[in-house]
Amino acid sequence: MNERKRKQLFAAARGAPAPAPSAAFEANVMRAIRNEYPAEAPAIFDALNQLFPRLAWAAAAIILLSVAADWGLTVAGLPGLGDGMTQISAQWLLTPTGF
Amino acid sequence: MNDDAELLERIRNGAPDDFAEVVRRHQARVFAILHRYERDAHKVEDLAQETFVKAWRALGQFDGRAPFEHWLSRIAVRVALDHLRKEKHRRNEIGLPELGEDALDWLRRGDEPSELDGRAAAEILDLALRELSPADRVVITLQEIEGRSVKEICAATGASGVAVRVRALRARAKLKRALERLAKL
Repeated sequence: MNERKRKQLFAAARGAPAPAPSAAFEANVMRAIRNEYPAEAPAIFDALNQLFPRLAWAAAAIILLSVAADWGLTVAGLPGLGDGMTQISAQWLLTPTGF
Repeated sequence: MNDDAELLERIRNGAPDDFAEVVRRHQARVFAILHRYERDAHKVEDLAQETFVKAWRALGQFDGRAPFEHWLSRIAVRVALDHLRKEKHRRNEIGLPELGEDALDWLRRGDEPSELDGRAAAEILDLALRELSPADRVVITLQEIEGRSVKEICAATGASGVAVRVRALRARAKLKRALERLAKL
């Protein structure tokens, strides 16, 4: 095959028609891409689940602080937190005139 | 929306559904590139989808220095190259039954000039190019069929200028031999 025929071959190949995209092509691409979008805003329970370790640590810290404060007040001879609660209950919440 | 830059800015700023417009604008070009390396229309469509998904993933890397179409074309060429590498083992046999009558007639005429349409030319080239390595095939296709310069081929393939020139020379010689063999079959 001579050079002229080879050139003819390349020139003709340049004009070869490419297949047209199917009607569903664009939708298929967008479907594939949507699978890669960043996740939507998480639901409230998902958010709580994500926060759970922090909430648990915060609750544990509050309990420890309360116990430490109660122990400190008792050692110092002051009324403890439990005494304060008993006093409040006795004075207001559970009295016959309270409600 | 006038140009790609504005459209891409909108997509980056949180309008991912506007990527459909990118697909509409560039699908013909992507199909045309991929069709040079794969003649099965269904496979071309799969490869085109892969090209757009890869473009979507890499959109943050597009810096706008070159036209978006060039950047997307590079992705399409690399998708084609990966495809050729995967398909290499399946496609290492040349057989005349895959050629249509027009292609056979043109080949049998030897050096005698005769009419050749695009479809028949694509059939012949597809068979002959199977004898080349995937990288050689990409270089010769970009150079001889798409008419790209060495610089453009470097950009599309990530190869150096010297590598592209050497590869093109070798690929052209191999293609010549493959076409001569086909003409004798």
